Amino acid sequence: MRLYELLRGPLLWLAFGVFVGGMVVRVVLFFTLSTKKDKPIYRFFSWKWLGLSIFHWIVPLNETAKKNPVTTAVGFIFHFCLVVTPIFLLAHAVLWYESWQISWWSLPETTADYLALITIGCGIFLALRRIFLPYVRVVTTTADYLLLGVVLAPFVTGYLAYHQYFDYDTVLMLHIFFGELMLVVIPFTKLSHFLMFFFSRGITGMEFGRRSAPSW
Amino acid sequence: MAEATAFDPKKFKEAVEEKTNARLKMWLEICAHCGLCADTCHFYLANDKDPQMIPAIKGKKVLEAFKKKDKIDEKFLEDFYWTIYGECTMCRRCSMFCPFGIDIATITSTGRGLCVSQGKVPENLVKTIESYYEHGNQMEVTQEDWIDTLQWMEEELQEELPGATIPIDKKGAKVLYTVNAREPKFYPMDISQAAMVFYLAGEDWTMSSKGWDDTNLAMFAGDLKAAGYVSQLVRDAAEELEVKRVAITE
Repeated sequence: MRLYELLRGPLLWLAFGVFVGGMVVRVVLFFTLSTKKDKPIYRFFSWKWLGLSIFHWIVPLNETAKKNPVTTAVGFIFHFCLVVTPIFLLAHAVLWYESWQISWWSLPETTADYLALITIGCGIFLALRRIFLPYVRVVTTTADYLLLGVVLAPFVTGYLAYHQYFDYDTVLMLHIFFGELMLVVIPFTKLSHFLMFFFSRGITGMEFGRRSAPSW
Repeated sequence: MAEATAFDPKKFKEAVEEKTNARLKMWLEICAHCGLCADTCHFYLANDKDPQMIPAIKGKKVLEAFKKKDKIDEKFLEDFYWTIYGECTMCRRCSMFCPFGIDIATITSTGRGLCVSQGKVPENLVKTIESYYEHGNQMEVTQEDWIDTLQWMEEELQEELPGATIPIDKKGAKVLYTVNAREPKFYPMDISQAAMVFYLAGEDWTMSSKGWDDTNLAMFAGDLKAAGYVSQLVRDAAEELEVKRVAITE
């Protein structure tokens, strides 16, 4: 279990460090560059339009959602499960408690199991969309498939580990590894949209808003 | 004058560096390639849903240009030019309906700015930019023609509405009314009709002898230096006449 200790200890720290540090650097760089070269953001800054824009896209209350109900639904469920499952998983909560004596509410195990399956299902739908819709295929790069794989891998291995399919130790270590890999790649790839979405949507909301035009 | 430049990778790189800003970097990085912009684009819809026309493709090409910098070649530039001028009108529909709010129109505009550094701008747009610098309007309307047109329209107006005027350079008026240069050139009646509305509404208004063209095709061309010059003309006129508001034609 040497490798397990390594994955569970130093590498986990490293992964969290790169993830948090990387995103902090991203945000700091954004502000240093934008104060010099993106004057419109600050000149027309408005909490109202920033907030309204983010609100209308974080709950699907917009034209795009109306016109693409299936993709919106799948995308929404996908993101919801993606965030909720790992945070409120009982097995994870136990680990947090063992290390830090902190605990919070967790999901019933069967529910979490279903959420994992739903996430994987949604991910497969998104992949199929890339393969079969010409207008998605045309902008799809290898990185898009790889990243989808990196995001889904912890869920697949987590599901396998919970049900103890295959060799439990190997699957568990793969599970931890993929989880850490996902954290590490976030700041350097489009996955950084988990945070940058708020910047981008807010800015475009203000840009339209200063002309009194809603952007949703 | 619009700078006559040719294919010059060094200048292209300089333009890329000058135009790199935080928003653009973020947008080019976070595009999830979801394809939801496709249906918002009239080029896509009007070309039998040709996937090459979707807005994200334009973003992708600008990203390529930003990565290439001085490694661009003429073949790339030619293709880039046609996409960036010929397959996007910068209408901003896709920006509005992108889940991330990625402003493809601004990205296209930046791409056009890169083309400007290579002297690759559609001929007709170059002509308008030259005209802005020479005559202060996009249609080569001379100062003499402009004033003549306004006076002529005033006469026509007075036949119908005795007492109505088209004030020129009236200092301290409330509204400065600006037009599209197309109006004095081809549709002068539009000006007298607007004057009619101003007169009947009892507005305190004026037209300006200079800085009266409110179009900005330099901005459309991506030549921001020229675009700034054109906007400044109207601003200067407004400040000189001490008006409260600038009204632009329909």
